[in-house]
Amino acid sequence: MSTSTPRVDSMKPATPGPTRTAPPRPPDKFPSAGRYPAYLAFGACGAFLMISALVLIGAVWAVGNGEAAWNDYRELLSHPVFLVYHVAAFIGLTWFTLRLFRLFPATQPYRIGPLKRPADAVMVAGLYGLFFTVLAVGTLFLGGALL
Amino acid sequence: MKTLMLKLEPIIWGLFSGGMMVGGILLPVFVLVVGLGGGFGAVDGQALGYDRIQALATHPIGSLLLLAAMALPLWGGAHHLRHLWIDLGGLKSDGLVGALCYGVALVGSLVAILAVFRLHG
Repeated sequence: MSTSTPRVDSMKPATPGPTRTAPPRPPDKFPSAGRYPAYLAFGACGAFLMISALVLIGAVWAVGNGEAAWNDYRELLSHPVFLVYHVAAFIGLTWFTLRLFRLFPATQPYRIGPLKRPADAVMVAGLYGLFFTVLAVGTLFLGGALL
Repeated sequence: MKTLMLKLEPIIWGLFSGGMMVGGILLPVFVLVVGLGGGFGAVDGQALGYDRIQALATHPIGSLLLLAAMALPLWGGAHHLRHLWIDLGGLKSDGLVGALCYGVALVGSLVAILAVFRLHG
């Protein structure tokens, strides 16, 4: 058994100076390997959120300007640039939301308020159900099939 | 300033997370019906006619949903794009990119509020 005095400050540098911290660097094989591409694509879908919100602002603004402006806006939506964008946006936003909901249980604590958290599969199924229900009912309603 | 930011943190995170949830749930409906259905002419013309859309948009629930679907996704999207930029390009230009992203979100939110007020004016 050693009788030497413990060195509790063994990590202390011999002389004062700046902390020797390695500069930040990306993980190995970033961004091409493993889950990094999906992670980056998820972040890039922020562009769909922003642009689609701006397109919606344009729609509401056009409604506020009267019938002629609204009809001009609808005409604009049939331009190929908007059509291509909306196909990409619909695919991107759907994938983004389903991925967000799949990852959602990992963000939740063991207890949610007074209740024990439900099983992960139950949470994911509920959120997927919410998404597809709102999509179906909202589409039928806004498209004029309901009411 | 640091204390103020700490106090505002729940609100700021609420904007980001609310933007993801609200944008992810509501915007696909708009994109599908108005963007794709309207653009390809697949939706009945009367359904997207001015009178019906104006009536939906000026209904209190419709106005509230529109405001949420316009303003919140701007913040969620800005947060994602800023962090994507940090992941790919580091922190060197974060001040500029962050200001640009959140600036667009702030101005867009104000325009969204104004757009909804104009409907009721």
